[in-house]
Amino acid sequence: MTDQWTDRLSEYLDGELAGTERTAFEAHLASCDACRTTLDELRRVVTNARALDDRPPAADLWPAVAARIGLSARSQARPMARRFSFSVPQLAAASVVLALLSGGAAWLLGRRGAVATPPLVVSERTPTLLNAVVYPGDARYAAQVADLERALARGRGQLDTATVRVIERNLRIIDRAIRNAQSALAADPANSYLNLHLAQEMRRKLELLRQAATLAGARS
Amino acid sequence: MELTTPGVATLRRDPDQRALGDAETADAALAASGDGRAFERLYRAHVARVHSLVRRMVGPDHADDIAQDVFVRAWTKLATFRGEAAFGTWLHRLAVNVILARRTTLGTERGRYHDSADILDGVAGRPAAPELSMDFEEAIGRLPDGARQVFVLHDIEGYRHEEIADMLGIVAGTSKSQLHHARMALRKHLER
Repeated sequence: MTDQWTDRLSEYLDGELAGTERTAFEAHLASCDACRTTLDELRRVVTNARALDDRPPAADLWPAVAARIGLSARSQARPMARRFSFSVPQLAAASVVLALLSGGAAWLLGRRGAVATPPLVVSERTPTLLNAVVYPGDARYAAQVADLERALARGRGQLDTATVRVIERNLRIIDRAIRNAQSALAADPANSYLNLHLAQEMRRKLELLRQAATLAGARS
Repeated sequence: MELTTPGVATLRRDPDQRALGDAETADAALAASGDGRAFERLYRAHVARVHSLVRRMVGPDHADDIAQDVFVRAWTKLATFRGEAAFGTWLHRLAVNVILARRTTLGTERGRYHDSADILDGVAGRPAAPELSMDFEEAIGRLPDGARQVFVLHDIEGYRHEEIADMLGIVAGTSKSQLHHARMALRKHLER
């Protein structure tokens, strides 16, 4: 059964009827059983659509995807050159996750007996802000870190000693976390939790260096 | 389906998934630097969503190939992901673009958008008993291409008619009409 309103049922359901049209439709709806029934059915269709479950493919597509982008199925890194850049939101997001996971990571690393975390010692010597850590798996990351460290070193004179000390202290903490994660990963390379933790620590270092370099640059 | 940014349909996420989303943003950044393991984690997290979208939009025959295309495309475009939206949202929109680009070769492009309820008779007019037992997903798959794509994009994926019209190269009124026809056909396949 159809009437002049039947084709407008979806518009009403989606809130696209307004003003006098909506008022007229609702007046009609009050007296039309067929439209009320159809409207209820359409509403159930929408509800069903939103409740559909996603299903993975029958076969794993990753080996084919990895092959097409030049990676082995259990790849470590991409061979081709690629621009390396992070946005502030990305880095901020990484730091949020780090905060959420740091406790678990510490527990996990501790269980593995990877590297005991020594008590923090604040250096009293003049901070250098250069703390070379080797990242053999990612030359671009190392280059990015080195660039920021050089930029920071150039502007270091614009920062007060206390600020420099805090920055250096935090960099040491991050570097220690990176080394711990690398040590743990050497024993368990496929551990996705450790991989994520390492990635986040590396990015946290980038973020800190970038912020510090920006601060130094702003004051120079 | 919530919309967090005008003009952008989002993947369905509850607040508890935000930490995971942050981790994915971190993985996306790492993958952009060339880390294949990070990209594989992203693939694992999203392959069901992407594959389901492809399957619903173009049918099962080409779903695997096109889903692969989506992830290959994502790999080449990772540098354009800036983290303003969730990675899943970015990937989803990229997937839609890949799917729509493939419509030409699959013969499901604009010409299939007949603005008439008659084309749905094949779906709506099935015998009563099979209708009741027909899986809702299967019923969606039996819709004509145009109605199915509009239904998937609007009612499952959360895009607005204006966005759909822009993506499909039709007018918003056609999108609304196709959606209504699709719903009218699918209501016959609701479980009683």
